[in-house]
Amino acid sequence: MTPMPGPLFLSWALPLCLLLSTPAFSSPRNPGSSTREALDYLLQAKLPDSSTWWPNIKRNLFTANLKANLLAPLAMYQGTNTNFCGYAALSYLPLHDDPLAYIRFMLTLYTDGHATWGAVHFNPSPAIHTAAGTLRFKGILDIRPADQLWFLSLADHFRGYLNFFFPRFHPGSEDTFWAAVNYGKFNRMIHDLFGYNVRAKGSDLIRPNIPDLFDYLSDCLHTGLTYLYVNNTYLHKKNHNKFKGSFPTHFIVLDAIRKIPAEPDMVDIIYWDYGGRTLRQVSLRFLKKITFGVTVCTPPHSQPLSP
Amino acid sequence: MIQLPPINRVLLLAILATATSCTSLNITKYYHRHHYTLDGMAQVYQKAYQTRHFSIEFTDRAFDHVSLEFDTDTLTYIYEFALGEHRMQDSILKYGYDTAAINNLITNMQSMECTWINNLDYYADETRHSLIYISLWPKTFNPPFANKKYYILTYFSQPQYFDAEGTLMTGRRLRRIRKINGETFRKINPKVCYTISAQFR
Repeated sequence: MTPMPGPLFLSWALPLCLLLSTPAFSSPRNPGSSTREALDYLLQAKLPDSSTWWPNIKRNLFTANLKANLLAPLAMYQGTNTNFCGYAALSYLPLHDDPLAYIRFMLTLYTDGHATWGAVHFNPSPAIHTAAGTLRFKGILDIRPADQLWFLSLADHFRGYLNFFFPRFHPGSEDTFWAAVNYGKFNRMIHDLFGYNVRAKGSDLIRPNIPDLFDYLSDCLHTGLTYLYVNNTYLHKKNHNKFKGSFPTHFIVLDAIRKIPAEPDMVDIIYWDYGGRTLRQVSLRFLKKITFGVTVCTPPHSQPLSP
Repeated sequence: MIQLPPINRVLLLAILATATSCTSLNITKYYHRHHYTLDGMAQVYQKAYQTRHFSIEFTDRAFDHVSLEFDTDTLTYIYEFALGEHRMQDSILKYGYDTAAINNLITNMQSMECTWINNLDYYADETRHSLIYISLWPKTFNPPFANKKYYILTYFSQPQYFDAEGTLMTGRRLRRIRKINGETFRKINPKVCYTISAQFR
């Protein structure tokens, strides 16, 4: 598992001070709207007390959830033991770059039961209408009906080969392959929904051949929002079994990567998942072992990414 | 070297296999035998957690490497140390944690073969509650070559509801099994529950 770091103080103090005092990304991503605009839109919206489309969603919890997402987008949580990590990870883009579009979409979906984002029209199935607001024992997702609606609608609409044997939602499907996101589907969702240019390197089974991973990821971070598709059984270990599956299971947003002085093989990585940012020291060998995909996203109006 | 006839070798293997597969632990007895230490760990953790959030994980079977997660407002820092390393104490101090409490927990976790201690939030009637989640990985409980199993103890801050079989329920009226971290729990006492899980967290 995580190799032992060496002397730490130099490696912590300086980079972290710099990190915490500067924006998370140095990439040229221009927001399409501001949080203020989205909040104003939300506050002025006239929502019905209850929605006939979403019988299990309470309006006060719904609006509180949307407000929380706007004010603290990093806190969006996929839920305990669900397969919603891909949907939570892609939500990072609209919540940071175009929160107004996100709010408009969510309010339309709540009011009308269907809505369009970009070129994608969402018309959730009746099972999703009933299920949103009822997911329980998932941590804070229990009281986040807007996130339940959002994740369930995404999973219901976008289907990939991993979902083939799980075509319809049943109670508990959020923990199964019904909600799973393969790498191609993840990239397709970002491109189709938000219109972003997507450069992807990797696959569901074979690790990409990246000779200098540190340089490559550093370059990606300067280009755009960078997602890593990783084997989470190593990154977020949950058991001590000797034999672990050698395939990716999780999407994270890479925030920063820095070499640790005097330890050429060790890096600090800062990433977002599970509703928060984490700093961890790992060896490049370990990072290479767990990384199955690197996706870089740039806004629609920017230059298309070279392969 | 003693040479056994083939039939005896088969018999010996069968006995060994049976012995290892039957090696298990009665968690209720285990809890009652060690409840002073286990309850003490929960109390120390709860008090220290109220000041600053953190969790502790033993990462190896020998219980000599520990991973500390320091939760701050902006970042969660995860560092792994060998027990006894000076920089572990430096790190605990650097992030403003109670060194005495964390050292006490690490010592007791090691002696109890506890692999993980954490605070977990759960929601009942739209209200947030917290519990302390302790994962035990006793050596007697894991036969070789089998996937690992963990005993999980949960410490609630208030008495819970159970059905006649002692299964943790959501409430007195709403008869629904409450799952914690995807697992069904059973009663040890009104505030402490257990389960056996393939995952320590």
